[in-house]
Amino acid sequence: MAKIIAVTGCIAGIAHTYMAAANLKKFAKKNGDDIKVETQGAMGIENRLTPDDIKNADVVIFAVDTTVSEKERFEGKKTLEVGTSEVIKDGESVIKKATDLINS
Amino acid sequence: MSKLNFLTKDNVVLDLDAKNQKDAISQLSNVLYKNGILNDPKQFTEDVLKREQMTTTGIGKNMAIPHGKSPTVKVPSMVFAKNKRSLDWNSLDGSKVNMIFLMAVTTKPDSGKEHLKMLSHLSGKLMDDDFVAKLKKTNDKDEILKLLQN
Repeated sequence: MAKIIAVTGCIAGIAHTYMAAANLKKFAKKNGDDIKVETQGAMGIENRLTPDDIKNADVVIFAVDTTVSEKERFEGKKTLEVGTSEVIKDGESVIKKATDLINS
Repeated sequence: MSKLNFLTKDNVVLDLDAKNQKDAISQLSNVLYKNGILNDPKQFTEDVLKREQMTTTGIGKNMAIPHGKSPTVKVPSMVFAKNKRSLDWNSLDGSKVNMIFLMAVTTKPDSGKEHLKMLSHLSGKLMDDDFVAKLKKTNDKDEILKLLQN
């Protein structure tokens, strides 16, 4: 069981941010992985990842079409960066890519 | 507007007869205008189409979720529509679109937080296969409203 954390964000901060978050959760759960997703959308940062969340995570997914706010928090972590569309289209392979990264 | 009546039957269009993507967005912008959500439907249509050019909002499974953040929007809202024919939408999975969620958001950061929350919650639900199947199946406005509000 992998510990995954993710940040999602899109241009308008309305739709894709939250669709990507939902799909990551859906497929992580299916895969038996632990996941916490921080959304950086029109309502600002929600479900913020704590220093402990980040420290304990095996891998970080940035599913963003913009830049990640406060990216320095994730320095030194294994990171997969994708666009929100990729996550919405095929969340399953994004989760797989992320978990593959852990052992690489 | 309270959370409960944020979405009413005025936000659901079951017999949209749009010829193409632009026509659909334009007609639904007019619905939002009639619902008192925005001041200038032409401007809003343009803003949504501009957004559409950056990345497609055809998210697959015959659904599209076009949206615009525009100064002409007075209060965050949406309209849900089923179109009579399937439209090309450059979708992620190549499917044609007959279910459209047009979302309108203000450019003011603090207006209508409660509505924004509902729009984001609804966006997330579009990833739920069960929810999508139910929405596809029914043509009853009350049932659709219940699904959207839940």
